[in-house]
Amino acid sequence: MKHFLVVFLSLLVSSVFAYIDEYANLGEQASSIKASGKVFHESPSIIRKMHPELLRHKRDKTLRKGIRTNNYSLKGCVSCHANKNKTNNQYYSVDKKGQFCSDCHKKVGVSFDCFSCHRTTLREGLL
Amino acid sequence: MNKTLNRRDFIKIMNVTTTGVVIVASGITLTTFASVSEIPVTNKKRWGLLIDTNKLTETDIDGMVNACQQEQGWGAEIRSTASQKPGWIKKLKVKDKTTNKVSNLALMCQHCEEPPCVDVCPTNASMKREDGIVLVDKHLCIGCRYCMMACPYDARSFVHETLKNQKEHMPRGKGTVEACTMCVHRVDKGETPACVESVNSEAVIFGNLYDESSQINQTLRIVQSSQIRADLNLNTGVRYSGI
Repeated sequence: MKHFLVVFLSLLVSSVFAYIDEYANLGEQASSIKASGKVFHESPSIIRKMHPELLRHKRDKTLRKGIRTNNYSLKGCVSCHANKNKTNNQYYSVDKKGQFCSDCHKKVGVSFDCFSCHRTTLREGLL
Repeated sequence: MNKTLNRRDFIKIMNVTTTGVVIVASGITLTTFASVSEIPVTNKKRWGLLIDTNKLTETDIDGMVNACQQEQGWGAEIRSTASQKPGWIKKLKVKDKTTNKVSNLALMCQHCEEPPCVDVCPTNASMKREDGIVLVDKHLCIGCRYCMMACPYDARSFVHETLKNQKEHMPRGKGTVEACTMCVHRVDKGETPACVESVNSEAVIFGNLYDESSQINQTLRIVQSSQIRADLNLNTGVRYSGI
């Protein structure tokens, strides 16, 4: 019985910690926005849940109707959530291990195919 | 304080308020126009190109190809064979057998009104925008290459290798078909395509074919122009004069 209790308690504790590292690697600009207290995403949980749908909706609008606003554009995501390598001043690819996109996707075990075509880094001098 | 307002004061106040409102309103309108359009493109416009082969030199065409490669980021595929390499815009020599007159053409997607590539696409990836620009929706493209076979101009290419460091505005990837987009990302911003910009003379004109005040429309009214393979009745958006 004691063993079960230990297992149960450790699961409980680890689940708490699993939520803590949720924002492990937010990306350079996104973390500075968060630190400044500004609200960029009204509800992060909606973004977390719905971002595939939002991106899909946006891509059709952009490609087929020519509406090139920044709202929910993949370019917009990458520009905020990319990290810079301080030593060589280059941006890491967002789909590289430990970076914003792959971090979460790996955790939930969902593969994503955006970056076989889309640029993974921020173009220098864009922001 | 005297509360009655005489005529002069009234006119003065009205003048000041009107000027204020006009300044603020014009500021608002200017910023609205400066931001990206949220209005979908319509069929009130039809984008097109007019290429004058008499004015267009061979170096001009090389410049156009280079500008296209720079803008869209193709041409650096190292693992593809010569026949596999993409060619969004090609230099073509046409020779009249009787007179031996050689014309140089820049051939790219002709942005047909009735595009055969759109007809054959099984997934609706090959599509025509309302304003006449023919594009590939790479999200839907399954790489079957029917469109490449259907295109009478051999304008489309297939990406045979994994790519990295694509241009931000031009996602490209292995297993999808691609072609000239008439620099749609620039056109949406109100700019002209990169190839048109690279030519110094007026050999290539870009504009709205429907707009009667546009340079392309007015030139097409004056000069003799033709569509390549006009017999197919595709009503191309790219027109040629001098051939």
